[in-house]
Amino acid sequence: MTRQNEYLPALWDAHRVTATTCAALLAPLALAIHERGAGIMAPLVLALGLAVFWPLVFARMRGRAMGWDSIVTALVFVLLLPGPVALWQQGLALSFGLVLGGLIFGGHGRGFLNPAVAGLAFLLFSFPGAAIEVPGPSVAIAAGVGGALLLGLGLLSWRVVLGFGIAIAGLMAVFPASEGWVALQSASLVLGLVFLIGDPVAAACTNVGRWLYGGLAGTLVVMLGHAGDGVGALTTVVFAAFLASIFAPLIDQLVITLNVQRRARRQRNG
Amino acid sequence: MPPQRTPLKMALTRRDLQTGRVIVQFSFRKGLVLDMGAAPKGDLIAPLSVGTVGFLGQDYPGVTFDLRVAEGDLVRMGQTLCVDRHRPDIRFVAPATGRISRITLGARRRLEALEIAVEGDAEHHLDPAHAQGDDAGLRQLLLESGAWAGFRTRPFGHVPDPGHRPASIFVTATDTNPLAADPVAVLAPQMALFQRGAEALLRLTDGPVFICQQPGPPLAEAQGRLRLAHFAGPHPSGQAGSHIHRLMPVSRQRSVWQIGYQEVVAIGHLLETGRIMGTRVLSLAGSGLIGPALVKAPLGACLADLVKNQTQDPAPVLLSGPILSGHATAYLRRHDLQVTAVASTARSYPARPFWHRLMDVLPAAPIGATLPLEAFERAFPFDLLPAPLMRALAVGDVETAERLGCLELLEEDLAPLSWLCPSGSDYGALLRRALNRLAEERVE
Repeated sequence: MTRQNEYLPALWDAHRVTATTCAALLAPLALAIHERGAGIMAPLVLALGLAVFWPLVFARMRGRAMGWDSIVTALVFVLLLPGPVALWQQGLALSFGLVLGGLIFGGHGRGFLNPAVAGLAFLLFSFPGAAIEVPGPSVAIAAGVGGALLLGLGLLSWRVVLGFGIAIAGLMAVFPASEGWVALQSASLVLGLVFLIGDPVAAACTNVGRWLYGGLAGTLVVMLGHAGDGVGALTTVVFAAFLASIFAPLIDQLVITLNVQRRARRQRNG
Repeated sequence: MPPQRTPLKMALTRRDLQTGRVIVQFSFRKGLVLDMGAAPKGDLIAPLSVGTVGFLGQDYPGVTFDLRVAEGDLVRMGQTLCVDRHRPDIRFVAPATGRISRITLGARRRLEALEIAVEGDAEHHLDPAHAQGDDAGLRQLLLESGAWAGFRTRPFGHVPDPGHRPASIFVTATDTNPLAADPVAVLAPQMALFQRGAEALLRLTDGPVFICQQPGPPLAEAQGRLRLAHFAGPHPSGQAGSHIHRLMPVSRQRSVWQIGYQEVVAIGHLLETGRIMGTRVLSLAGSGLIGPALVKAPLGACLADLVKNQTQDPAPVLLSGPILSGHATAYLRRHDLQVTAVASTARSYPARPFWHRLMDVLPAAPIGATLPLEAFERAFPFDLLPAPLMRALAVGDVETAERLGCLELLEEDLAPLSWLCPSGSDYGALLRRALNRLAEERVE
């Protein structure tokens, strides 16, 4: 149902959210291009092509307007791509992510997974053993700046970020870091937190739920990082984001149940 | 009567120094602050005459109208225009004297609008004598005078049944909508009538009557079941929805009524004089006007006539109501006390941060899915979960919406969320649909 007050420009719409997220991705992307040089151009062009192709196919099939949010998915996917992976593998993985992670549910906001997470998980599952190439610390800083922009504009929940940080800090204090943890301070972790775990579609949608969801994601990162000593930061973050977003609706249901019970009690007593 | 329980920790009570009575106080942190320019202050412009007044069917959800007049008829102020087909005691009366110039029927011959070209000043007199002591007489008088239509029930936002006794009545004597008039200033010259009206409300309910106001000098003398409640904080701390949610949350089992402060004055005036008060004090403001103004104008006034001398804009967008929940109608809606005029050239109104203005170059996106942002919770001072509720409303899941508390809300309570949500959905309209379906189920 459309807005009745069309004279009132809404604060956000889907295009604005996409544009802002892309703006937050610009700095890390520029640095990644600078670091990796021409090697990143072919994956980037392929990913952007798929990010236009699949939404267009679904838009035609359903007779709906096309969304541009897949561009964000493509950029995040390319940024987190683990080093030399054959182009056809990349294309297959991203297509899997775009279609089964988002488009079959009806597009952005209607699914429960971040499509980039679905694509990367598919890639890491199906084609293991790819040499993991970790983006440098400058990309991590750039991703942090992008995250700060999204936090400031409210597209990234500070509760998720803080819950994530608290869980990691707490668990690191209990289980002191081993060698493999150096990888965790990498760009993959920051990019993963800001653009995969922090995606409002994949995250819990209640305030209490956001704390729990962030905490769960942080816990999973530490646990997976410990268990698979050496699997690398990317695998850890992607599977932590994957599992956390699967549990997000459950967390929300818990919060909803508690809220309904509390209000019913007020009704009886008030 | 058991002692008043304060439902949330946010509530503080303090004793009023003069009367020694306990006042419930709430201070909201959550809400929305919109920068819209100046609200009207100061002097009231003498009664403003308008060429036409209108009666809009959309103001009364759930009512099927039976017309009692025809096009071309002369009507006097207070004369019955139409009644509710299923509850014929509920009358809707002419807000001004004149000739019925047009009756517009919509789908399934539903009354959409009835327009009266104003002429003359004859009035329909009523006798308030039998309403003074007798409660049934009071109800009869309110129904006959059309004042009854000033009440709205929660849940559903309907005109209440003539025989219904609500658990409580809430008088909204505060208004935090951007550019709204200050109720304290409007009420100042009419305090006695307001008190008289508020006391009359006590005879319609066995529960308390709450006067909800901003912290400050009491607007009415609290006594017995007539209580004061203070609400401070950003919008929507001045809306009945948040007051009722805090003081007496409604459900299928418990229903309350809400009424605006000027409606209470009108009831006081009716009881005092037997004459219908057909005018309201309105705020005219917005970027489309030369300056904000406080005017006295008839109910249902034609918006274009109201701003005629106040604007240089050739075609301002005129809204009945505040910017967030207002509607671009031709006439003032029944429960609105302000007119917002947006300049035809306005691109950024209300004022938005730089980044948002920069993105105005982007084309508008089609309606999408609810994107749950933290901003929803920050702007929504209810103990309800906005994002799950918005999702339930967007997909038409009425049962879940009810479980999540949609019965406690009316359209205007969701207006800030519609503005913040990237989906572009009108959650107020979606809520109305859900409420209509829930109300139908209840009848069956």
